[in-house]
Amino acid sequence: MSSTPLLELDNISKYYGNIVALRGVSTSVNAGEVTCVLGDNGAGKSTFIKILAGVHQQTEGSIRLNGVEVMFDSPRQALASGIATVYQDLAMVPLMSVWRNFFLGSEPTKGLGPLKRIDKEKAKSIAKAELAKMGIDIRDTEQPVGTLSGGERQSVAIARAGYFGAKVLILDEPTSALGVKQSGVVLKRIIEARNQGLAVIFITHNPSHAYPVGNRFLILNRGQSMGSFAKSEIALPELTQMMAGGAELKELEHELEAAAANGRAN
Amino acid sequence: MSDVTSTPAPVTVPTPAHSPTAPAPRDERLAYRGPLQRLLIRPEIGAAIGAVAIWIFFWAVSGPFGTAGGWLSTLDVATFLGIMAVAVAMLMIGGEFDLSSGANTGAMAMLTIMLIRETGDLGGAGLNFWIAIPISFAVAMAIGYFNGWMVERTRLPSFIVTLATFFVLKGLKQGLSKLLIGQIEVGDTRDGAGYEFWRKVFAAEWQRNDHQLESRDAIYTIAILSGVAMLMLALYEMHFAAREKKNSGGLIEFLIGLVGVVAGVLVLHRTDGSGGNLLGIVVIGVASLIAVHGFSTWRFQPVADRGGLSLNSAVIRSIAIAAVLGLVAVIVANAFDANGPESKERLIFPFTEQGFRATLFGLLAIGCVVMVMIAATQANRVNKTTKTAVSLLLAAVIAGFALFIRSQSASVKFRSEAFGVMLAIALMVACWAIVGFLFAERRSVDHRADKIGSRLITAGLTLLMIGLAVKLLFTTDAQIANKIPPAKLSIRVVWFLAVTAAATWVLGRTRFGSWTFAVGGNQDAARQIGVPAARTKTQLFMIVSGAAWLVGLLIAFRVNAVQAGTGNGEEFEYIIAAVVGGTLLTGGYGTALGAAIGAIIMAMSQQGIPNARWNSDWRSLFLGAILLTAVIANRSIRTRAEASRR
Repeated sequence: MSSTPLLELDNISKYYGNIVALRGVSTSVNAGEVTCVLGDNGAGKSTFIKILAGVHQQTEGSIRLNGVEVMFDSPRQALASGIATVYQDLAMVPLMSVWRNFFLGSEPTKGLGPLKRIDKEKAKSIAKAELAKMGIDIRDTEQPVGTLSGGERQSVAIARAGYFGAKVLILDEPTSALGVKQSGVVLKRIIEARNQGLAVIFITHNPSHAYPVGNRFLILNRGQSMGSFAKSEIALPELTQMMAGGAELKELEHELEAAAANGRAN
Repeated sequence: MSDVTSTPAPVTVPTPAHSPTAPAPRDERLAYRGPLQRLLIRPEIGAAIGAVAIWIFFWAVSGPFGTAGGWLSTLDVATFLGIMAVAVAMLMIGGEFDLSSGANTGAMAMLTIMLIRETGDLGGAGLNFWIAIPISFAVAMAIGYFNGWMVERTRLPSFIVTLATFFVLKGLKQGLSKLLIGQIEVGDTRDGAGYEFWRKVFAAEWQRNDHQLESRDAIYTIAILSGVAMLMLALYEMHFAAREKKNSGGLIEFLIGLVGVVAGVLVLHRTDGSGGNLLGIVVIGVASLIAVHGFSTWRFQPVADRGGLSLNSAVIRSIAIAAVLGLVAVIVANAFDANGPESKERLIFPFTEQGFRATLFGLLAIGCVVMVMIAATQANRVNKTTKTAVSLLLAAVIAGFALFIRSQSASVKFRSEAFGVMLAIALMVACWAIVGFLFAERRSVDHRADKIGSRLITAGLTLLMIGLAVKLLFTTDAQIANKIPPAKLSIRVVWFLAVTAAATWVLGRTRFGSWTFAVGGNQDAARQIGVPAARTKTQLFMIVSGAAWLVGLLIAFRVNAVQAGTGNGEEFEYIIAAVVGGTLLTGGYGTALGAAIGAIIMAMSQQGIPNARWNSDWRSLFLGAILLTAVIANRSIRTRAEASRR
């Protein structure tokens, strides 16, 4: 990697009083690549996102965007710098239509002064086209988002972030509440977003979701980085093992095997 | 079973099912929605149907209700409540309540009067209207801002914050008026400079009997008939599948039919004998069928496969129940001899004997019609032929009841008005059934037809409004000779309509409207995405306070004296009106139009109960029943709106 990465994190730490939430985490994210942040519950994933999204500020370490050191004081600031975060359940207003959700907060307008109004036709056609670009066929953009499936909702949020000029897209556990097929849909969107040149940070606790789409893997465990690997440096079983802290999972695997063998015997 | 031990296979990312350049295949899980289904999931529909039903009920049981004068005074009663309900609905959509809104209206009325009244014993500030009115507006804005600011700042439920504001306002009104003028009532004032101008703005009235228009009835008839015709054609246009190449023969047939309808109306209009009437009705009926058939031949795709008539057991059961209900209705109507003059005196609580008979008959007849409608829905699942047969039966049943009512009732209201409307409905049902038999329904979205349809709907509704307005606002020589009681339109009604229209536009078309739905629907998501949630909510509180200012001025210019208690406790009526109109208590869903209809429903009960000569103490019972029914109905509508598109 000769050029400067789009987003670089150097030795980030976060303390809440005397509690160490995150210690010495470093990684880099390139445009057109997916960086997966893996970790079990309590590994520090949410702290990590919140620092990037501008909700919290790191106690130590530096973030560099395009080689320039930045510090985000608010989510708005992060958004303005091109870092968009899609939270699992905070993405959408369920009773509002797809196009209104797509443009929420940045509606295109026409008319002047008190007659300034949303340009509905434009908004609808853009929303439809952008979603189609992501491979989501929504017949009627007037339908409420609440009627979409979980995967489709995540997809709309991803398409929206891309359209509004995000350079870095942070996805917080987008697949954790979804079934196998729906997860596949969302993973496909992640690849679409990557192919459109976005840098994607994909947070998950499911290595089998992360491995097929990721270019780089950052593994967190109990607030510490277990290392940042390129895909060529690590295979799926290793990834799974590192994530869970190795030994425990081995044990679990044996137990599961025994249980399954019992089941077969019966 | 053997896979259990292996680690879960990584999810392979499926390749796109179709290339991006190819047109996307239609999603087979999404059913096409016809115009009627689209209408039935609108948030206002429950309130609108309820309003029509309640209107018919009071129209049937009471004298002055439903006349032009009755209409205008009902609307006038609805204005204060309606303006506030619309603003409160906006706030509720934004997820908050304002319990101070009721007290605020009275406070604004008192404040304005106090600012204008002379100094000295009267305790006023002696300002002229041009200064006092902006000052009270500024105070209203400040109160709204305070409510919003407190709610945002403390993050307490607005229920509590505005309850506190309510008590503060209530106390100020009472305390200050006692302190300044020694009583809890302030009289109005006419001596300030600018009174005449502002009276026109807030209390102008239009006396119908001062304005004659001899062509009134002709304009009314033409506007209503063509309005209804346009709405019907819009429904057809949106419901049936368009033909690729238009059939111009159909167009000629359509025009011939139209000429026939006009001729029939003229016959009906010019003749008085029953023979002439019958001729007119037959001509209109036949000509309407020809016109509708022509229109459909011109524009729509004929149907290929209809299937044969086959009644399944569900259809037969529904029709049997309908038959029993219809029979009982006729027997009940005959069992009472309610046409004598003494039947108006004899009471079967809360009705007169006459009213009791009419209500019982009406309920049974409606039950019968509804059962036939259910049968038609069930028949729709069988095939087209069966559906058409049952729909024609429905038309026949409605026409039959119309004739029965005509033969049984002595009053003009039922003999001609109800009869005419029911016959027209029967005709529409019959036309619909026949066209549905011959032409194919639309199965996919057709933007062009929808556009034509929505234009026709706009034009049709405008014509209906013009027709009604002409009828309500003007009088004729004949009416004056007949000593028709005067009716007046107040500018308050105009304010009410203007506020409703403005709120509808703001909610539907502006960014602020979108943000209102967003902060009420999911505040965290809205904030996250960059909606200025705090500002939006504060502005909503200011809108409610501004509405309270407007209502306060309307009150101040209307009454002779404003009590300190004016408006206190009415905030719940605003909330009830909004909820009856389909606004969700938890926010994020609702319409301004619905709230306005809710207010009209409440005003109708307020006017209709005394008009029907019942004790007005019963109003609360009536309101409770309406509220409960409305909430249940609205919930089912919303569930359908959300779920049916899955």
